[in-house]
Amino acid sequence: MRAGIHASVALLLVAGVLVAPVHSAEAKPKASADVPRAVPLPADTLKRLRSGDVAQVKNALDDVRTSAKAGAPAAPAIGELLQQGLSPTLTQAAIDTLADTESEAGSASLAWYAHHRNVELRRAAVQALARTRGGEAVKVLRAALSDPDPGVRGLAATGLGSMKAKDAVGDLFVALDHRVAEAAASIGQLCAGNECDRLAGKLGSVPFDVVTSGLDQVLFRAPADVSDDMKVKIVGRVRELGTGEANRFLKDVQGKWPKTWSARVKQAIDQAVIATSGSPGAGGGSQ
Amino acid sequence: MSRATIGLATAVALAACGGGQTRSSLFSTNWEDDGGASIGHVWDRVGSAPIPESADVVVGVAGNSDKLIGSPVGGGSKWTFAHPLDARPVVAGNVVVGSGGNEVFALDAKTGSVLWRRPTGGIPLLGAGDDGSVTVVTFHKAGGAGSVLLAVQRDGQVVRQIESDRPLGSPAVLGRLAFVPWAGEYVSVIDLANGDEAARVTLRQQTSRAWTEGGSLWFGELGYTRFDEHIKDASKGKASTTNIPARELPGSPRLMAPGDKSLLPVADATDKVRMYARPRATESGAAIEDDRWYATYFRLAMGFGAEKGKLAWVRLHGADFVGGAAAAGGVILCDEQGKVVELDAKTGGTLGEMDLGEPVKSCVVNVDAQHLSGTPEDAKPLTQQLSEAVRTDAPELVSAQKLLLRELAGMEDDTATKTLVDVASDPRTSPDLLGDARAALANRRNGAQYMEAALARHYDFLKDVLRAPPVGPIAEALGAMKQKSAAPLLASHLLDPADTDDDVKQAAAALAVVAGPEQLATLREFFGMYRASAPNDDISTAVVSAGQALLTLDDSGVVAAAAKDETTVPFARERLEALVAAAAPRPPPPDSGKKKKQQKTGPATP
Repeated sequence: MRAGIHASVALLLVAGVLVAPVHSAEAKPKASADVPRAVPLPADTLKRLRSGDVAQVKNALDDVRTSAKAGAPAAPAIGELLQQGLSPTLTQAAIDTLADTESEAGSASLAWYAHHRNVELRRAAVQALARTRGGEAVKVLRAALSDPDPGVRGLAATGLGSMKAKDAVGDLFVALDHRVAEAAASIGQLCAGNECDRLAGKLGSVPFDVVTSGLDQVLFRAPADVSDDMKVKIVGRVRELGTGEANRFLKDVQGKWPKTWSARVKQAIDQAVIATSGSPGAGGGSQ
Repeated sequence: MSRATIGLATAVALAACGGGQTRSSLFSTNWEDDGGASIGHVWDRVGSAPIPESADVVVGVAGNSDKLIGSPVGGGSKWTFAHPLDARPVVAGNVVVGSGGNEVFALDAKTGSVLWRRPTGGIPLLGAGDDGSVTVVTFHKAGGAGSVLLAVQRDGQVVRQIESDRPLGSPAVLGRLAFVPWAGEYVSVIDLANGDEAARVTLRQQTSRAWTEGGSLWFGELGYTRFDEHIKDASKGKASTTNIPARELPGSPRLMAPGDKSLLPVADATDKVRMYARPRATESGAAIEDDRWYATYFRLAMGFGAEKGKLAWVRLHGADFVGGAAAAGGVILCDEQGKVVELDAKTGGTLGEMDLGEPVKSCVVNVDAQHLSGTPEDAKPLTQQLSEAVRTDAPELVSAQKLLLRELAGMEDDTATKTLVDVASDPRTSPDLLGDARAALANRRNGAQYMEAALARHYDFLKDVLRAPPVGPIAEALGAMKQKSAAPLLASHLLDPADTDDDVKQAAAALAVVAGPEQLATLREFFGMYRASAPNDDISTAVVSAGQALLTLDDSGVVAAAAKDETTVPFARERLEALVAAAAPRPPPPDSGKKKKQQKTGPATP
């Protein structure tokens, strides 16, 4: 069981999907000249999408992908294509394209494919729904936490976190208890008050790296979103473990802690690092 | 010591007893059929003699096959007797006969006290008969084929010893005449007074055993032949006989072990997989007591109708049965833990229980006069019994469970359907049984409420529902039943990726029959998603069925378009084209307008 959940986390680490915490204070995109300008959607895109010609449809989908969010006007037409039925290859392309448009108009069609028999299409649809968003998307992703495929379950858990689906926290806890490791990070992104404390309470019963993938998210949420009291409490919970891995985690948090953030929390982290530095497997003193 | 030496030692030991030696042409195959004359004379001589009742007793072989435990049926004190055993003991009349430790011994069946012992040189016991004054015992001869017959009085004196190269069966005694089956078809009557063969009868059925029961003398192995006034016509096939009907049973059980083969003191699979019946004398000849016969299969016991072999009850026990006997009113069975149960002939319910006090290696049950009676408190309806037996997680019972499942499938009541649904849904069900359960379920035509309840379940990882219900067979059944109330449930499975391809195919086929307008959205969704991406023929077939349902519900546009679209998978497209063509309104005949006009204006005049 632990091996399975560890493996799942390892995959996520490789993919770089979960463990990068959302650094609220620093992660806001800056409007600058570095941001590429959107490629406008070619005028005949909708016509090509509705041509019935496989090559033209494929070509139009490529254009929409290039336009990304600017391709949103094509989302309804792509949704229609998916509802009429496409070959597996075109279906995959259409789903990925809808994801790139990030248009909620695509969610209804993507919802169909979230329970397609082809697991690759199902995974793609769940990932896409996390980007097209909307109430329908949340509903489908919550249901997808019970999917027979572990990959779909994990993507659904991740998607719910990225969609800020706070109503899904209860489901995510159930998923975490069912070894859906990705649920921890999403809980960390969404939890409020006692929910965050409940996540910290999983230390000892759920693998350390799984729980801390969520606690990391909690600690780096904006001060207005998660109180300093809660962060100090979580640091204390980790400190109580007194293990080498706890020390390494705390040192990692210490190293990333924004200079402008709470000095009180910083002090708690520093003290926790010192307190756990003598633990077996700890990597030495504080930074 | 070599086998030949043992045989010699036996002969010497027995001869030293002072009994009459017989080395004659007994059991010769040169015998000419006398048309029943000699056996007719024997019937005239002893036919009216009362046959004493045998002991009602259970005898267990315990320890390391060196201990006998006796327990009278119907009450009485248990007894034990320590003695090494080289063969299964035999109950004959009121005597328990055993062999081992180079001797044969006889015990009082009620008390276990020793009646007599005789040295044998180590030859194992085959069978025994007793008429209250003399016990006739047969042994397997040392060193190969052949047998030894010994007749011993109550005081231990050997009154007759016969050695033969023939394999003799298990004998009976009546009026100091020994009835000895041999060669599978003969019963020779040996006059113990002089050792002569007083008569012989040729039977038309495999016979290696003779015994008294219920006041009659019987011969048999595969069936029962009664010694009565008709015995003289036995060679013409006109003796009084009764048999149990042939029917399929798990493990091919036998009714009786061959009487000319020594049984080991430790029970084997043939003791656990057995049939039991009790013959009964009737005015016309013979019949099976209570119209019931019984079978065991490890820890299952079953009761069957004597006439057609119809299953009457099945009973799941806690341990493997290793021995038993049919009685009037029921059957007494003994398990390997030393527990003895008396089961009601009619219901299989418990009429009584006994405990030998410790596990047994084998068990011998003899019932003669005891009549089992009472009202069993644990009697259950057959459907419930079958459900319990079939749902038990016991891989060793699968062969029997398959048979019982077929019995269940033949039952009309709704609860049989429920059991089939449960068996087909249970993740613990053996794969061997699962296929049968699903097939049986597909053929049900009742119990729709249980099927719909099953369809309401879906695979749900977070709720720990890790097996989809048996959608395919349920869909087949509900479709055949035209169960429109099941349509929403069937539609929900059309879109469940946890269901198998076959399940989806069957759900779609059923929806083609039962779907209503409420299912249009789901049908369109399924049709749209798979008409161009169906991964195999099952899903393609489901697409066609969904298309058929859409056409039936007057939603032909999407189907017609798919039938023309080259991206539709070929398997589905061909069939959809045919469906669309068949559904298209036929062009009116060229003169139909004229006819309509004529109808409006009245009948046409010539």
